[in-house]
Amino acid sequence: MYWEKEIEILERKSLERLQLERLATTLGQAAKSPHYGRIPVIGRIAQSGMKAIEQIRELPFTSKEDLRNNFPWGMLAADKKDVIRLHSSSGTTGNPTVVYHNRHDLDSWANLMARSMYAAGVRDTDIFQNICGYGLFTGGLGFQYGAEKLGCLSIPAGAGNSLRQIKLMRDFGTSVAHVIPSYLGRLFEVFKDEGLDPRKDTKLHTLVIGAEPHTQEHRLRIEEMFGVKAYNSFGLSEMNGPGVAFECTEQNGLHIWEDAFVVEIIDPVSLQPVADGEVGELVMTTLDRQAMPVIRFRTRDLTRFLPGACPCGRTHRRIERICGRSDDMFIIKGCNVFPMQVEGVLMKLPEVGDDYRILLDTLDEQDEMIVEVEVKKEWFTGDLAFLDRLQRHITRLVRDEVLVRPLIKLVEPGSIPKAEGKAVRVLDRRNK
Amino acid sequence: MSYQVSIFLENKLGHLEKVTAVLKAAQINIRSIHLNHTANGWGILNLVVSSPQRAQHVLNENGISAALREIVVVKMADKPGGLDELLKDVVKAGVNFTNAHGISVNQGDSAFLVIEIQDIPDARAKLENVGLEIVADEQVYGRSP
Repeated sequence: MYWEKEIEILERKSLERLQLERLATTLGQAAKSPHYGRIPVIGRIAQSGMKAIEQIRELPFTSKEDLRNNFPWGMLAADKKDVIRLHSSSGTTGNPTVVYHNRHDLDSWANLMARSMYAAGVRDTDIFQNICGYGLFTGGLGFQYGAEKLGCLSIPAGAGNSLRQIKLMRDFGTSVAHVIPSYLGRLFEVFKDEGLDPRKDTKLHTLVIGAEPHTQEHRLRIEEMFGVKAYNSFGLSEMNGPGVAFECTEQNGLHIWEDAFVVEIIDPVSLQPVADGEVGELVMTTLDRQAMPVIRFRTRDLTRFLPGACPCGRTHRRIERICGRSDDMFIIKGCNVFPMQVEGVLMKLPEVGDDYRILLDTLDEQDEMIVEVEVKKEWFTGDLAFLDRLQRHITRLVRDEVLVRPLIKLVEPGSIPKAEGKAVRVLDRRNK
Repeated sequence: MSYQVSIFLENKLGHLEKVTAVLKAAQINIRSIHLNHTANGWGILNLVVSSPQRAQHVLNENGISAALREIVVVKMADKPGGLDELLKDVVKAGVNFTNAHGISVNQGDSAFLVIEIQDIPDARAKLENVGLEIVADEQVYGRSP
């Protein structure tokens, strides 16, 4: 049932004591980096210690911008000779963000990953295919080391080449795969083109899906298509990568590993903690990383703590699936809209395909939200009136959800450009 | 029973040509074309072709949404009043339709009216009952070139 029982069901008081101890060590370590070394309060609290974990609010936030400004070595708190790996963002806008790991850090990460997969029911008897990019992207190596630690037979398949992915699955009897959700639709199409049904023609029983926020409706579709249980995985490279929070077999919220991170949820505008159970921005502090501790990192991911205890017995709190990013929210006609709200509406409709795109554009001097929606081939009857009704129906549902009347545009299936890697769902072409 | 092929089409340069290219490659002849456009950036293209089932199949294979919809084709004289005489009988039959288009077959002699009856109950029987001659499939679809 548990990978590390004593830690996973540790009672809250002891867990908080562990956090306080590890936080003091972390602050002491952080102070060795050029960036945190310049912030006196860090060294001071490392010395004096904290009485309660809430005292962490006295420390400053760390933003992605801080990581960029300290490129390349300014966040490094360890001797370069002890660092054995780095992961980095692509850095297409400005400096990349880099995260360094020493041997302890990588072991600790692999352990969190193994713990996460175990919680989702993965065992050492499973054959695990990792269908995502290796290299600087953390989803590849992160899952690889975790699966090896757990003892699965791992297949480092990498991203793309659907035909080869399917062949690997069938040749070796893959039972668990890690896949980015937006790729699964395409993979399913290739199964169909080959005259195969993943429900009958593979041994898959579990999919681990993450790296992109997705809705519960999208998850249910994936489970139906592949005949599996699909578990939500959450992580970010600044906090190692995958293995930060993971669904257990209850599939109701993601346990966030509080022995490894201090977790706060704040109002992204006032920067104050939100009331318990309310949605806000996730802020995280590493507790078990030596080469590069990060303090109060603003993840920009929006979520909330789920109230109550989980029937699985784990005491680490659960966060709800990520419902958006504080930086991908857009404002149109005075309303705040998160793309995930639109996705939530679309994925409930059987007539609608998995791909969609939101275009923000200025038409006749007025800003409009245009939602491009694919109508599935199976649902096309050639009936103009049916499509007309569908369009009006979607318009009404989206408007009820986001309070802005969208222009729904039905498009031909396959006409929305497929994403390589993370899907781009919003295109802003408004006159500024 | 005769069918036309109905195709979902975005109003974008080259999309209609994509359909005709697929049909050309499959050596399917187009007998008539009728394009309905909406104000919403898309429309429905109705085609009477030499082999509708095969056309639907190759279009779907090429990622194009195509459906078959039942039609009846009735013959009329290609002269002033030809359509009016035909419609008198259609009214007598009590068939109210919304989608139709005409094809001239032999100039000065005969023309066809293509009526979509997919959603009209018993339309075919009603038209036959008033004595209208329903054109046979071979003639509707024509001979493949």
